[in-house]
Amino acid sequence: MHFFDPLPPARRTTKYLIAAGILSIAASTAAQQAPSVPADLVIRNGTVMTASHGTIEHGSVWVHAGKIAGVGASVNAPASATVVDATGMWLTPGIIDPHSHSALDGDVNEATSPVTPSMRMIDAFDNRSADLYRALAGGVTTELLLHGSANMIGGQAVVIKNKFGLDRDAMLFPNAPGSIKFASGENPKRVYGGRDQLPSTRMGNFEVMRAAFEDAKHYIAEWDAYNAKAAKGDKDAVAPKRDLKLEALADVLRGKLYVQIHCYRADEFMTEEAIAKEYGYKVRAFHHALEMYKVAGKIAADQTAIATFADWWGYKDEARDAIPWNAVISMRKGVKVALKSDSDDHVRRLNQEAGKMVHYGGATEDEAIRMVTLNPAWIIGVDDRTGSIDVDKDADLVLWNHDPLSTYARAQKVYIDGDLFFDASLPGLGTTHFSGVMHDSGGFGADDEIGEEDGQ
Amino acid sequence: MIFSSFSRFLSRTQLPVILGGAGARTCAVEGPAFRVASRPQILATAALAVAVLSSFAVAQPAQQQAIVLTGGKLLTVSHGAIENGVLVLADGKIAAVGESGKVKIPSGAKVVDAKGMTIYPGLIDPESNFGLTEISADQMTNDLVERSDEIMPHMHVYDAFHSETELIPVARLNGITNAVVAPASEDTIPGQDIFIQMYGKDRDQMIMGRDIALAMNFGSEQRRRGSAGRGGGGGGRPEYPSTRMGLVTQLRQAFLDVQDYVAHRDAAAKKDDKTFKRDLKMEALIPYLKGERPVVIGVYEGYDVETIMALAQEFHLEVILNHVTHTQEILDKIASYHVPVIVGSIYDFPRAGQRFDAVYTLPAELAKRGVKIAISSADAGGPVSSHSARNLPYAAGFAVAYGLPYDEALKAITLNVAEMFGFADRLGSLDVGKMANVVVANGDPLDVRTDVKQVYIQGVPVPMENRQTRLRDEYSK
Repeated sequence: MHFFDPLPPARRTTKYLIAAGILSIAASTAAQQAPSVPADLVIRNGTVMTASHGTIEHGSVWVHAGKIAGVGASVNAPASATVVDATGMWLTPGIIDPHSHSALDGDVNEATSPVTPSMRMIDAFDNRSADLYRALAGGVTTELLLHGSANMIGGQAVVIKNKFGLDRDAMLFPNAPGSIKFASGENPKRVYGGRDQLPSTRMGNFEVMRAAFEDAKHYIAEWDAYNAKAAKGDKDAVAPKRDLKLEALADVLRGKLYVQIHCYRADEFMTEEAIAKEYGYKVRAFHHALEMYKVAGKIAADQTAIATFADWWGYKDEARDAIPWNAVISMRKGVKVALKSDSDDHVRRLNQEAGKMVHYGGATEDEAIRMVTLNPAWIIGVDDRTGSIDVDKDADLVLWNHDPLSTYARAQKVYIDGDLFFDASLPGLGTTHFSGVMHDSGGFGADDEIGEEDGQ
Repeated sequence: MIFSSFSRFLSRTQLPVILGGAGARTCAVEGPAFRVASRPQILATAALAVAVLSSFAVAQPAQQQAIVLTGGKLLTVSHGAIENGVLVLADGKIAAVGESGKVKIPSGAKVVDAKGMTIYPGLIDPESNFGLTEISADQMTNDLVERSDEIMPHMHVYDAFHSETELIPVARLNGITNAVVAPASEDTIPGQDIFIQMYGKDRDQMIMGRDIALAMNFGSEQRRRGSAGRGGGGGGRPEYPSTRMGLVTQLRQAFLDVQDYVAHRDAAAKKDDKTFKRDLKMEALIPYLKGERPVVIGVYEGYDVETIMALAQEFHLEVILNHVTHTQEILDKIASYHVPVIVGSIYDFPRAGQRFDAVYTLPAELAKRGVKIAISSADAGGPVSSHSARNLPYAAGFAVAYGLPYDEALKAITLNVAEMFGFADRLGSLDVGKMANVVVANGDPLDVRTDVKQVYIQGVPVPMENRQTRLRDEYSK
C-alpha cells in the first residue's frame, strides 16, 4: 500500500496525525480496563529530575490534559486533581531511545541494494511486539525505529510513543520530523562485498553515496525545469516521473529529513561531514560513534550529536578502539551525547547505561539523565515536545522506586501524554491498555541483523 | 606524538610491563576519596608495581611489602560487613581482617587510608570466554568451539587460552580477578574449562586450574549434523542426530562407551597388556563419570532441564546447572536436585506474554528455595561475550533490584563461584589465609556508578590501566 502512496514524504506525518487522532479514540474505547485519564494529575513529593533544570527534592509535577502544567517545590493544581504520592521515589522524563530496531519482526534491512531511501520502517512496525512492552516496563516512552546498517542509505525511520496496547497509528509520535538512516564502514562492506558487489570497501561506500546524491540533484533539476515551464503556462510540459527513491534522496538534499548515520571510526565522521557539506545537508547524529572521543572537538563545530553505547566494544574491528569514556569525553568537548540501545535487551535498562556515565568520566546526575531523555529527544527532533519535565511539554513521565541512575531502580509507573501505560504494582503484565496476544520477535534488535543469507 | 604512541596501542601482544612507563603515570590510585598517605608514596607504589611486573620473567607475581588497608568498609562475604575495618595483605595472602583497632598492623607495612572506600574480595565470573576471542567478528581471533562433532570432551581450553588478551585487563579494571573460561555452547560437550587468575605474565601464571569442569549443553540450540536449522527442518544432511532424541541418545551412548572403555582398560592393565590403545576422548570423560569434577550443563527450558537431569542422575554426574532461563514453572523441582545453579543471564528475554520480570526475578526465586546460585557475565540470550564481563557486578545488582538479598548477590559472584569450582579454600571471601585478591572501590560494588580504585591480585596492586584507559588518556589531553 505505502509503496504506491502518492503523498510526498513531507506530508506523510500530517496524514498520520489525522489518522492517529481518529484511531486513538477508537482504540481507547475498545481497549480493556482502560482507566479514565484524569483531567488533572499531581505527582507529589518526589525527587524530580527534570533533565533541563536540575533536580528538585520533594518536588511535585502537575499534569493537565496530557501536558505538564506545573513543576516545582509546589504546584497550583486544582483540588480535584488525582494525587500520586511519590514520597521516597524518583520522577524522570520518559526514557527515549534514539536507536532501536524493536518491533519490526526482523525486517530491519532491505539489504538488496546499498541505496534504499524510500523504505519506510512504519511498513514493518509491529505494535504488539513484546519488545515494546519490555521497554515500557523499563521506562521507555519514545523510540526511533531505524532501518539497519546494511545499506549506505537505508530507509526512513518511524518515531513512536510507546503506548503499548493501543493500535498502530495511535502509537505514532504525532508530527515528529522524519529521519533517514545512513551507514558506512564494515556492515555495507560485508553485505555487498560478500556478494562481490559495490561497495566492498570504504572507497566504495562513499562513492555510492555521492553517486546517489548526483542522481538526486539531477532529479531536482528536472523537476525545477518542469515547474518553471509549468509556471510559465507551458501546457505541453510533461512532468518527470515521480521516483520514490529519488524523491527520498531529494528530501535529504532539501533538508526535509534528519540524517542519522551509523558509523564508528573517527575518519568516517570527517568523511561523512565533508560529503554532507558538499551536497548541502546536515548530519543530525552519528550513531554508535565509538571513536568520537578522538575528534569530538572538531565535530562539535558541525553541531552533529552522537547516539552511542555506554560500554560496548570489541565485537568487530571498527569497535576495537571503543572506550567507555567516549560519551563523557565527547560531551566535555561540546558534542551533544545520547545513549541508545540498538538492542531489545539494553532498551530495558537505558537508565543504568546512563548511570555508568557517572562512573566512566564523572558525568553529573543531571548530565547522565539527559543522555537518555532530552538529548535523544533532540536527535529525533522532538525535544520541544518531550525529554524533560517542563511546563507545556508532553507528560511523559517515569516514577522509579530508586535513583534511576543506580542498578537498583525499577520503573513503578510510566505515563505517556499523562496517561498511565504501565504500573508495576498491578498483577499480571502491569499494563493498563493491553489485551490480546503479544508477539515475539526473534533476535536481539541490533543493527547487524540482516537475515541469514547475509550473515557472516 | 599521537601517532607514535598510537602505534603502541595497536599491538595487542604487549604486556603490561612494557607499558610500565605509562603505568608509572597512571597506575596509582586516583580520586580524592581513596587517600594514599603522600605523593611520594604513590610514586613508590607505582615503582613497586613496575618492579613486581618486571620480575615476572622469572617468578610469579609476588607481593614484596605487606599492605594494610585501613578505615574502609569491608564486605567479607563470609562473615558480614565491617564498617571501619582493617585488612592486611602479606605474602600474597590475607593476613588479617577485622575492626579498626583490633587488628595488629605489621611493622614495615605500607598503610593505605581507605576511608570512604568499600573493600571486597575479587569478583569471580563463573562463565567466560577470556582468551578464546579478541574481536568477535574476526573469526581468526576466535577459538571458541571446535565445530566438528557434538561430543568433544578432549578439547581443552588451556590449549587455546591466549593470556595476553585485552579482554582481561578490561574486565579486571572493574574488580574481576578470577574466572572460569569455557568453550562456546554450540556443542553437546564442547570441552573442558579452566579457572584463571586475571593477572600474570603468561599462561602458566594465570591458569589456576586445568580441566576443572566439563562443559555440556542441551536444548534447541545444540548443533545437529542432521539439520542445518533448528528443529530438523533446515534441509541439512540426513545424518544422525537431528533431534533432541538423537542428542540425548548420542550422549547416553557416549557415557556407556566410556564405561565399556574403562572396563577394557582395567582388564588390560590387570593382564599387563601393553597393546591397549588409549582413547583421548574416552579418557577425558572418565573423571566426570566418576563424579570427581563438576559438569556444567547449559540448558534454558524447563522440559530440557528435566530430560538432561534424568540423564545426569542416571550416570551420577556432579552437576552445576547453567542458565535455566525458562524454568519458572519447575523451580521447586530444580531446588530438589540439590545442585548449584549459574542463573541467567538475568538479561535473557522472557517469553512473549510473560511478565517483563520473569527472568529478572529468577536469581531471587532460586535463592529463596535454598539453591546455591552464581551469576555470570553472559549477555542476553546467548553465548557469552566476555567483552562485557566488566558488567558482572551490575547483573548481580540487578538481581537485588528484583528481590535477591544483597549478601546473596555478592556471594553469587564471589564465594559461591569459588565453592562450585573448588577454589573456596583460596578465593571468594575476605578471610585469613585466602589469596589477597581484593578490590577497593568508591562505593557499592554492585552499583553502576561505582568506580573501582584499586585491584590487588595476590597482594600485588595491579596497574589500573588497560588499552582503553591509555586511549582515554591520550585523547583527553
